[in-house]
Amino acid sequence: MNYAVLIELLSASIRIATPLLLVALGGVISELGGTFAVGVEGMMLMGAFGGAVTALVTQNLVLGLLASCICGVLLGAVIGVATVKFRADHMVTGLAANILALGLTSFLLRGLFGGKAPVMVLPTIGAIHIPWLSELPVVGPILFGEPLMTYLAFLLVIPVHWFLRHTQAGLTLRAVGENPEAAFSVGANPHLIRMISVMVCGVFAGLGGATLSLQELGTFTDGMTNGRGFLALAAIIVGRWMPFRLMWGCLLIGAASALALNIQGWGLPVSSYVIQMTPYLIALAVLCGIGRKARMPAAIGKAFIRN
Amino acid sequence: MSASLGEEEQQGRTAPLNPPADSVTGPDSPHASDVLRRLGLAILAITLSFVVSAIFIGLSGKNPALAYWSLVRGAFGSIDSIAFALNKSTPYVLAGVGVALCFRARVINIGGEGQIAVGGIAASWVALSGSGLPGFLLIPLAILAGSFAGAAWAAIPAAMRLTRGVHEVLGTLLMNFVGVLLVSEALHGPMGEVGAGFPQSPLFPEQAWLPALIPGTDLHIGIILAVIAVIVCHFGFWHTPWGFRLRLIGSTETAAAYAGVSTARGFAGVMLLAGALAGVAGAVEVLGVHYRLIQGFSQGFGFNAVAIALLASLNPAAVLPAGLFFGFLEAGALAMQREIGVPSSLIYVIQGLTMIFVLCALGISWRRQRV
Repeated sequence: MNYAVLIELLSASIRIATPLLLVALGGVISELGGTFAVGVEGMMLMGAFGGAVTALVTQNLVLGLLASCICGVLLGAVIGVATVKFRADHMVTGLAANILALGLTSFLLRGLFGGKAPVMVLPTIGAIHIPWLSELPVVGPILFGEPLMTYLAFLLVIPVHWFLRHTQAGLTLRAVGENPEAAFSVGANPHLIRMISVMVCGVFAGLGGATLSLQELGTFTDGMTNGRGFLALAAIIVGRWMPFRLMWGCLLIGAASALALNIQGWGLPVSSYVIQMTPYLIALAVLCGIGRKARMPAAIGKAFIRN
Repeated sequence: MSASLGEEEQQGRTAPLNPPADSVTGPDSPHASDVLRRLGLAILAITLSFVVSAIFIGLSGKNPALAYWSLVRGAFGSIDSIAFALNKSTPYVLAGVGVALCFRARVINIGGEGQIAVGGIAASWVALSGSGLPGFLLIPLAILAGSFAGAAWAAIPAAMRLTRGVHEVLGTLLMNFVGVLLVSEALHGPMGEVGAGFPQSPLFPEQAWLPALIPGTDLHIGIILAVIAVIVCHFGFWHTPWGFRLRLIGSTETAAAYAGVSTARGFAGVMLLAGALAGVAGAVEVLGVHYRLIQGFSQGFGFNAVAIALLASLNPAAVLPAGLFFGFLEAGALAMQREIGVPSSLIYVIQGLTMIFVLCALGISWRRQRV
C-alpha cells in the first residue's frame, strides 16, 4: 500500500466516523442521563431530512443545519415525553420513534413536493484547508483538510467530556442516570433533566444526520442513515460511555468501512455486499470482545417514580 | 451458561439479563375485564394515530377524509384486495407472535427482519434445488429449512447475549443489516437469475408454490399456518409449564431464580422460537407470494411484527387481529396512494404513532398496578 492510498484511507476513516461521532456524543448524554438512545437512528434520519429539505428550499446551508437540529429535537421530545412522562419502555419507544421517523421523512419528502420525491442535488459542505497546518506532511492532509462538520464533531468531544466530568450540571446528569432517587433527594429534578438530555441528544443526532445529507452525499433518500445510528450506539458501548474513548470507537468503525470501500477497488474476489456487511460485523465483533467489561449507567431504562 | 449468568448478576457489573422492561410485560392472566381494557387501549391508540396522521395528510395538501375512505375501500373493496391483505398479514402474524412471547419474557428481540430474510433464503434454496420432489414433500421441507435458518440467525445474538453480555437489542438490530445483505449476496451470486433486470432468483418449480386456499384468488394457505401458530403459542403460553416459566421470567427475575427457573435457558428458548417463527414467515412469503427470492422482500417486516405484538398488548391470541389490522392497513394504503396520491409510507407514520401511544398507555397501566 503506497503513501497516497494510506493518506486517502485515513482521511476517509475520519470522514465516515464524523456522523457516527456526532450521534454517539448525543447518545452518551442521553444514556448517562438514564435514557436508552435507541431512537438516535430516527433522530439522525429526521436531521438528515430537515437539513436537506431546508437547504433545498432556502439554498442556505446554515439554515439547513439549524433545521436538522430542530427536527432531531422534535423527535427527541416525543421520545422524552413517552419515556419520562408516560414511563414507556425505552428500547421499544426508541424503535417506534425510528419507524415514525422513517415514515414521516419518506411521507413528507413526497407530500411536501406535490406527491413525487424531488430530485435533490445539494451543494455539499466543502473541505476547509487550514493555512500552514494543512501543508504539514502526512497529518496535514489527513487532519487539516477536512470539511466543517468533521472539525466540529471532533472538537465537540472536548467540551462534552469537560461537561460530563468537570461541571456541576454534568455531575447531576450522571447522578440521574446512576441513581435518580439520590439525585432527587439533593434537589435535582430527574424528569426535567432526562427530558433535556434526550432533547440535547436530538441536537447532536440531528447534526449527525445533516452531516450525512449535506456534507457526505448532498442528497436525501428514504432510510439513508441505514443503521449508522445503531453503529454509534455500539461505539458508545465500546467507549464505555466516555467521550474520548467512544471517539476511538467511531474511528475504528470508520476505518473498517473505509478499508472495506478501498478493498473494492483492488479487484479482490469479494462481493460488494459482503463488504457492506463489514461495519456491522466489526461492531458486533468488538462488542463481543468488550464483553462484560462494559458497565451501563445503573438506572438506565428505569423510570423515576417520585414517592 | 446459567452459572456464569448468576455470577454476573451477583457481581452486578453488567446490566441484568432482562432489561427493565416492566412497562412492556403485561399481567399474569387473561381476565375478561383485562382483555376488554386492552382492546379499548388498542382502539384508542389506533384512533389517536389516525387523527395525528390526518394532520400530515392535510399538510401534504390532500383531504384526509377522502384519503381514509379510499384506504377503507382499498382494503375491503373486493375479494382480490381481501386476499392481498390476508397474504400481507400472514408473515406479520407469524413473526409477531414470536415477538410477543419474547417481550413477555422481557427479551427485546427486534431481529425479525434478518430472521425473515435468512428464512427466505433457506426456503428458496430448498425450493430451487429440490425440483425433483413432489409438492407435499418439497413445501414442508422448504418451510422447515426456513424455520431452522431463522432460529439459527436468532441463536447468534442470543449466544452473544448469554456468553458475552452483548445486549440483544443491539445484537439483533445489527444482525438485521447483515441478514438483508445476505439476500443480496445470494442473489448476486449462487442463487441469482442470470439476465434478470432485478436482483431475484429464478422462478421456483410449480410444485413448490403454496397452494391457494380459495381457488381463483391469490390467497395462499400461509394464513392457516399463522392461525395454527397463534393457537399453539396461546395455549403454550397460558397452559403449559414452559409458558409459566416464561411468565415467571417476565414478571420477576428473583421469583424465577427461587423457583429454580433458568433465565438463560428461557432466554435462549424464546429467542430460538421467535427466530423459527420469523423464518417460517420468510419461507411463506417467498413460497406463497413471489414464487422466487427477491431483493428486499423482508423490508420492514420485522418492525411490523414488533408493532403488531405491541398493539396486541403482547397477548399471543390478540396478535392475529392486530396482524390482520396491519395487513388490511397496508392493502388500503397502496390503494390510497394509487387513487388519491397520498404516499403509502403514511402507514409507517401510523405504525410508529400507534406503537408510541400503546407504549405510553402500557406505561400508565403499569403505574396503576404499582400504586
